[in-house]
Amino acid sequence: MIKFYEKRKIFFAISLTIMLIGIVSIFINGVNLSIQFKGGAIIKYTFTGDLDLEAVSDTASTVLNRNTEVQITEDLATKTKKIALNLSGNSGLDANEQEKLDAALKAKFASANLQLSESNVVQPFIGKRFMINGMIAIVLSAVFIILYVGFRFKKISGVSAGVIGLIALFHDCLIVFFTFTLFKIPINDSFIAVTLTIIGYSINDTIVIYDRIRENAPLYTKKPYEQLINDSINQTLARSINTSVATTASILIVCIFAFIYNIDSIKTFAFPMLLGIISGCYSTVCLAGPMMVMWHKKKEKLAA
Amino acid sequence: MRNNKHIFIVVMLIIISIALISFFGINAGPIQIKGMQNIRFGIDIRGGVEAIFEPKDLDRLPTDTELESARIIMESRLDAQNILDREITIDKNNGQILIRFPWKSGEIDFNPQKAIAELGETARLTFRDPDGNILVEGKDVKESIVQMDSKTNQPVVTLAFNDEGAKLFADATEKLVGQRLSIYMDETLLSSPNVNEKISGGEAIISNMNSIEEAKNLSEKINSGALPFSLVTKNHSTITPTLGGGALDVMIKAGIIAFLFVCLFMLIYYRILGVVACFALLLQMSVQLLALSIPQITLTLPGIAGIILSIGMGVDANVIISERIKEEIRGGKSLGSSIDTGYHKAFSAVFDGNITCIATSIILMIFGTGSMLSFAYTLMIGCILNFISGVTASRIMTKSLSKNDMFRKKSLYGVKEAI
Repeated sequence: MIKFYEKRKIFFAISLTIMLIGIVSIFINGVNLSIQFKGGAIIKYTFTGDLDLEAVSDTASTVLNRNTEVQITEDLATKTKKIALNLSGNSGLDANEQEKLDAALKAKFASANLQLSESNVVQPFIGKRFMINGMIAIVLSAVFIILYVGFRFKKISGVSAGVIGLIALFHDCLIVFFTFTLFKIPINDSFIAVTLTIIGYSINDTIVIYDRIRENAPLYTKKPYEQLINDSINQTLARSINTSVATTASILIVCIFAFIYNIDSIKTFAFPMLLGIISGCYSTVCLAGPMMVMWHKKKEKLAA
Repeated sequence: MRNNKHIFIVVMLIIISIALISFFGINAGPIQIKGMQNIRFGIDIRGGVEAIFEPKDLDRLPTDTELESARIIMESRLDAQNILDREITIDKNNGQILIRFPWKSGEIDFNPQKAIAELGETARLTFRDPDGNILVEGKDVKESIVQMDSKTNQPVVTLAFNDEGAKLFADATEKLVGQRLSIYMDETLLSSPNVNEKISGGEAIISNMNSIEEAKNLSEKINSGALPFSLVTKNHSTITPTLGGGALDVMIKAGIIAFLFVCLFMLIYYRILGVVACFALLLQMSVQLLALSIPQITLTLPGIAGIILSIGMGVDANVIISERIKEEIRGGKSLGSSIDTGYHKAFSAVFDGNITCIATSIILMIFGTGSMLSFAYTLMIGCILNFISGVTASRIMTKSLSKNDMFRKKSLYGVKEAI
């Protein structure tokens, strides 16, 4: 039996600390939008042997008349080396120009055996449209969920259930967001996918506990409110832990594989999801319950 | 109720067969069901090219007809490059054309940039003599339509030229009476009608069409050659099949291990209820794969996130129910009534959790774009399946199992026997 309400200050302190770290990370690292949203061009080649990065950058800059940053990466599992050409500015790149660049690089660095690995060229206005659509989707689903929760849990005071559910959701979305800023992962469409997934998990966790509170409420009319909340959380604790263990472990496995094989697209999606799922469970058990009690006490005080 | 005792065997066999079908598909003459290996993966998984084309130097939105013409040009060019497995989507609101096609492994010489650069070029419609000299060009064509010849009742394609075109066409037909005049789109021969006489009115008729479809097809291609703009793409991405395929392999391996872990965890923790949970999850996952492979819905990385989320919800449904049943057994109820109350009491939580997910996915389908649609689809299917597999199928299995004497020991449900 854990007294969640009595220990609320510890939980609030933990969450606030994480939020502070997140905010500091924004000041230090900034919010890095991926070119998927802000527009721009990144072209990656695999190569063998040695490459003079400066010469590559010069060639690209001359052909395209645009400054180009070149970075080198190495895949530990397969030992392939890659260069990433990052074109300055946010504008896209005409396919014809990219074709010219491709030809020029392959001619000049013939011995390096350059092979196109991936390219991502996005025009700013298209990227912006994607981002706005994604954000609309996130906001709309959050709003809908809160309305639904408020409606379904009228018995245990719909407004507080809805608002506290929203705070828990917001907490988890912030954790996902801070994971991106803290680890300098550019915000891309996996951010949208992860946030939506976490909203789903988090609200599901919250609903399970609310459901138990709703069921227990008629039996606890004579007992203090915090006992109703604490008992309900404890009765569903085995479920909360078991579900979290199963889902967290699954995502952790995906995450480990993505890191071993160094697959960016999966890394940037499995890792934030892992932290988001943990946060989703934590916010429900440790934050939502105690907040319900606080809300209730405040209301009682106002009524008295 | 003796016959209920063995129903779990039937349900489990059905689940195993559905799982086998979803993994391997069915290929037996008239019955064809596409299995897991035939799932259409997005280019983020299997590698490929995605490009958004827009009109070059056009200060208005292109009309629907122009976009349709542009699509026809793209289709015929992709055909010419033998890229058949493609998706072309027209976005009328933004006046754009979205193209996606896979980059098949083994195509080492394939140059994706060149392919997309060529796709956008102005289509060049030309009328040539038998020696290949260009006599008239697409820009001189005003319009082409399909009509029915009132005498022969056969479909024909009519051509109308502008003034310049009418003059050139008259000269050309005068020279070529009795010979063939060939119509080319880029370097692809569209049609090669015989010239019967000099045509000077600026209007021509191509007869001898085999069907109305053929006539329509030719007419559309001629019209698209008269498209007044070229298309550019400054928004395109490519990913090699090795990189894409690598991501897929990793996801499959990780998925299998994660699934085995979850099963093991459920088995150790919930014993018999764990066995039921494993079958319920297997059913959910198999039907989800079939829901992707049969209608050939493209599965992207966010789509896999949707599967993970819905399977997580599936695990949760099983955990909630199993915990509830354990609680009821501990409370001293008989096994049968514990199972009944367990399912009954757990249902509202499972229902609310899954309904919110289904609603979220519907919102996403309406407002989402691109790869988010894949997420919404897999999530919605998965959550609907949770009701079928996680609640209904698992209840039938649990009830039936509990009627067998050898499965009645409370320890088999993860509850310590009272001393």
